[in-house]
Amino acid sequence: MKNLNEWKETAVQAIKDCHNNAELNQLRVLYLGKKGPIQEIMKSMKELAKEERAELGALVNEVKQELSTLLEERRSVLEEQEIAARLKQERLDITLSGYQPQIGNLHPLMLVQQELEDVFVSLGYCVAEGPEVECDLYNFERANIPKDHPARDMQDTFFINVEELLRTHTTAVQMRQLEQYHKEGKEIIKVICPGKVYRRDDDDATHSHQFMQCEGLVVGHDIRLSDLKGTLLFLAKKMFGEERVIRFRPSYFQFTEPSVEVDVSCHICGGKGCSVCKGTGWIEILGAGMVHPNVLRMAGFDPKQCSGFAFGVGIERIAMLKYGIDDIRAFYTNDLRFLKTFKRFE
Amino acid sequence: MLISRKWLSQYMDISDLDMQTIATKITDAGLEVEGIHLRSQGTKLIIGEVIDCVDHPNSDHLHVCQVNLGQRVEQIVCGAPNVAAGQKVIVAQVGAQLPGGEIKAGVIRGEASNGMICSLLELGVDPHSLSEESKNGIEVLAQDAPVGHEDPLGYLGLDDEILDVGLTPNRSDCMAAWAMALEVGAILNRPVHLPDCEGAAKQYHRSASLRLTSETAKCPLFMGKVIHHVVVQESPKWMQERLAAAGVKSINNVVDISNIVMLETGQPMHFYDKDALPSMEITVKDHLNGVYTALDGVEYEIREDDIMITNQGKPIGIAGIMGGNDSKIEMNTTAIVLEAAIFDHVSIRNTARRLNLNTDASIRYQRGIEPMATYKAMDRAVALLCEYAQAADLEETVVYGDANYVPYSMKVTLDGINHLLGTDFTMTEVMDVCERLHLQPVQSDNEIELQIPSYRQDLRIEADIAEEVIRILGYDRLASTLPTMPATMGTLDQRQQMRRRVRDCLRYSGYQEAITYTLISQDLLGDAIMPLLEPIALAAPMSEERSMIRTSILPSLLGSVAYNQNRAMKDVAFFELSSVYAKGHMEERLAIAASGFLQKSRWQKIEIKDDFYSLKGILEALLARLGFEGKRIQIKENTLDTKAFHPYQSACLYLGKELAGIFGTIHPQMAKRYGVSDEVVMAELNLEVLLHNKAAKVKFAATSKYPSVNQDLAFVVDEQLPVGAIVSCIEKHGKLGKEQVIEQIEVFDVYRGAHVEQGYQSIALSITFRSTTHTLSEQEISTLREAILSALENELHAQLRA
Repeated sequence: MKNLNEWKETAVQAIKDCHNNAELNQLRVLYLGKKGPIQEIMKSMKELAKEERAELGALVNEVKQELSTLLEERRSVLEEQEIAARLKQERLDITLSGYQPQIGNLHPLMLVQQELEDVFVSLGYCVAEGPEVECDLYNFERANIPKDHPARDMQDTFFINVEELLRTHTTAVQMRQLEQYHKEGKEIIKVICPGKVYRRDDDDATHSHQFMQCEGLVVGHDIRLSDLKGTLLFLAKKMFGEERVIRFRPSYFQFTEPSVEVDVSCHICGGKGCSVCKGTGWIEILGAGMVHPNVLRMAGFDPKQCSGFAFGVGIERIAMLKYGIDDIRAFYTNDLRFLKTFKRFE
Repeated sequence: MLISRKWLSQYMDISDLDMQTIATKITDAGLEVEGIHLRSQGTKLIIGEVIDCVDHPNSDHLHVCQVNLGQRVEQIVCGAPNVAAGQKVIVAQVGAQLPGGEIKAGVIRGEASNGMICSLLELGVDPHSLSEESKNGIEVLAQDAPVGHEDPLGYLGLDDEILDVGLTPNRSDCMAAWAMALEVGAILNRPVHLPDCEGAAKQYHRSASLRLTSETAKCPLFMGKVIHHVVVQESPKWMQERLAAAGVKSINNVVDISNIVMLETGQPMHFYDKDALPSMEITVKDHLNGVYTALDGVEYEIREDDIMITNQGKPIGIAGIMGGNDSKIEMNTTAIVLEAAIFDHVSIRNTARRLNLNTDASIRYQRGIEPMATYKAMDRAVALLCEYAQAADLEETVVYGDANYVPYSMKVTLDGINHLLGTDFTMTEVMDVCERLHLQPVQSDNEIELQIPSYRQDLRIEADIAEEVIRILGYDRLASTLPTMPATMGTLDQRQQMRRRVRDCLRYSGYQEAITYTLISQDLLGDAIMPLLEPIALAAPMSEERSMIRTSILPSLLGSVAYNQNRAMKDVAFFELSSVYAKGHMEERLAIAASGFLQKSRWQKIEIKDDFYSLKGILEALLARLGFEGKRIQIKENTLDTKAFHPYQSACLYLGKELAGIFGTIHPQMAKRYGVSDEVVMAELNLEVLLHNKAAKVKFAATSKYPSVNQDLAFVVDEQLPVGAIVSCIEKHGKLGKEQVIEQIEVFDVYRGAHVEQGYQSIALSITFRSTTHTLSEQEISTLREAILSALENELHAQLRA
């Protein structure tokens, strides 16, 4: 008996002192294995009396159970320690930079163009395009700009020959659309026409010989000037924020009558007056008006039966206002430091 | 157009309105006021008398003056060369605010100075309206100027405010002060009283000796009148003030009258010294050549298109632009010939532009003059000459041609106007607007008949009147509505959708979108990739650099690569989508140019270089996403353009048999010319090819539920043998019965060097076999492997590496 107890004390101490699982396994074999003291005692039990045998058997089992539990507890502790040690080994420096995939951006003018397209497509408009090398007919004649109008002058237009030129406005696309729709016998037109246009201007901070416009055209029965205002108010809110309001000021374009300049309340100061709106609280963003009856007539429509509105925005102008860009040349230099600014989804 | 408060006040009462209010109202009604200028500025000004003026002891140009200001005498140091004792002058007292700043008491080189004796320039007066004398020194007032008067600007008539009004092309009638006054009156809703001189030109004392003719169609109307007696002298003060406010210098009463009439009526006039004309005959001509000295003393080259006023075959003026030096009005002129004419505005514009002579007259001709202006101007000029130049002994007015003016009347309806605008204006409101605009409206039921005044050539249709109504009643009356029409579906067409997909695919692969100019130089055009025939040249380019319309994007895009590389940005990856043009042809293209690393994280050793293979991979991935892959895409040796591309690191990309593009490394010579690194890789694709070929649709094929088997093999082959040939050969022999069981072939190593014979290379690849019908047996794999190995050996002399 004493032997068993002494032996158990030794085993318990050994398990407690054990500091790794390999040694712990050895202890398991040493104390509980086939050649271990338990087996020895079990073997020697044959020589004992039945009662003594039962008593000793229970005792041995108890010790065996106790040691097994101790071993398992110790194993679990040691395993925890070992994992903890390994994890510590695997520590990463979280301040080192991660792999950020290079993702390119759309050009800021394209961001604005796509935004305009999305706004108007959501309103049921189609997106129409036309050639940049355009003929006099669509660029001027059909837009109610007669032969001797100053806008046709060599100073303003890149002519190719008497008949052909680089379009000076996307109005040319509108004129083609009007003709096309009329030919197809359609009475309702809702299109926007984005694209590059060209003017004979020296490039400086506010002028560019190449720039982008997006014009819109709606023709139907009973289209009114107030419909133009509602449509442009929707646009202003989408492009510059829900709080925006717009105002019309009288203006003049050959292909519309009445013609208006459209101001939007300043998105920077909210209309209180700041440097962007030059203290007025308003920013001029586009020109618009009711399609001139001559324009409708030239494309084959009867101005008594239908009416329409048209508007045109400068894409550079919108981009400059939205992003606070002060030099139009920045759009065409393609400096990566500039282009990388436009990475956010907006 | 400049119009001053005093000028407007001649015609209407605006004493209750400040200029800012007037400016806002007329801007809101469509005449945009671009600025309000004060003719002069300054506070705490007073008229003083210089009672003593001595040289400053410590200066060679300053003077120390004692100036009597009425209530007191102040010492003022003055630097003006013309200051002298006895002068009446304008003094800015201490604390005065002038355009140049505040006047402070001070000591100038040891002498106290309490104020400043002013020149008109220092008081903000426009130098254009000042004489040389006035510009170079202090303003010396008349001897009877009241000392101690605290409003010297008012005393001088300089207390005026000027509106600078920007006019839209349809409202050039407002270049005339009278028309402007009528417009302002209509906007402010108050009566306007213009001078009445109708018929003044009809008076005469002798029959006409002047003969007028024109030998050109560019002069439809010419009025002339000879006045045998005038007295040239200084203009009346009001006239000088008005001219100055309009930025016109006063010369003498006769010249000033010609200018004031032009400013009032919009009709340029020219007065000749009668005695300087050899005969009383004036002929308007073109088709003259030569050099002509105009009134400003400058010699101008005259060409055939220019309209000239001639006397006895010799030019006496450039029509509508500037008169001649020989016949100009001098102080000793006693008799004059008046000219008021209409000239072709296109011709005037071309001449004025070519000679760079934008005079007040030429600007008015270019913008168009109202048809009755010539008659109004002649009447007004005769009336003013009689009143202010003692004109007498008048000849009968001579008229050549006709203004061809037909009075215009039209009808509009209240419904029509409200319908177009989306408003609910009342008949009373619309009638009121028409009255204010002098359209003489007559109402019958819903209809209004209008008589359009001659100066409103822009009012011809109902929409014009609708615009008048809303701009006068105010755009704030316009509601916001949306069109009521049948629903339409907004869509992007196939082309527009494809563009968006190309953009998204490329940008998420690391490429940045660029936009470059369409117009390029002849040099760049010469480097076009897949050049189009018959490129388009501009008729009159602004520079050689922008003289041609590009037929290819890449040369311009390389410019952007160079720009960034020159600024130490080494990782550049651009794409651009653009149309290119040639005679009778346009196509849409995609260009890519890249150099450096497309992706990298150096410490992690992630590096994807912009090289032939990364570019090829991106193009294949892009095309696959657009529905073009597998056998439809052919990548072939580049034999088309070995000038722009490296001949051995480039390829042509075909969709079926159609050339879709060229890509590869830039040719070192091309790189040198464009100033870019010779590691640049680039591509140009014709998107039309993708648009007119049918894209494959997404089709689901069930994934095999049986396991795959991998076999890694390495071969030694002739180094000239393309790896593609090995891959095709393996694929060809990867069939088990009819089923292709090779799922994938991945080349994982290409090696030349030690242990491989010179002229050969080792290719290591991994083949994945999988069947959709059963688990492949060892036997089957072994059979396939043997077949592949023997085919490679027989067909390509590939030796299995031990």
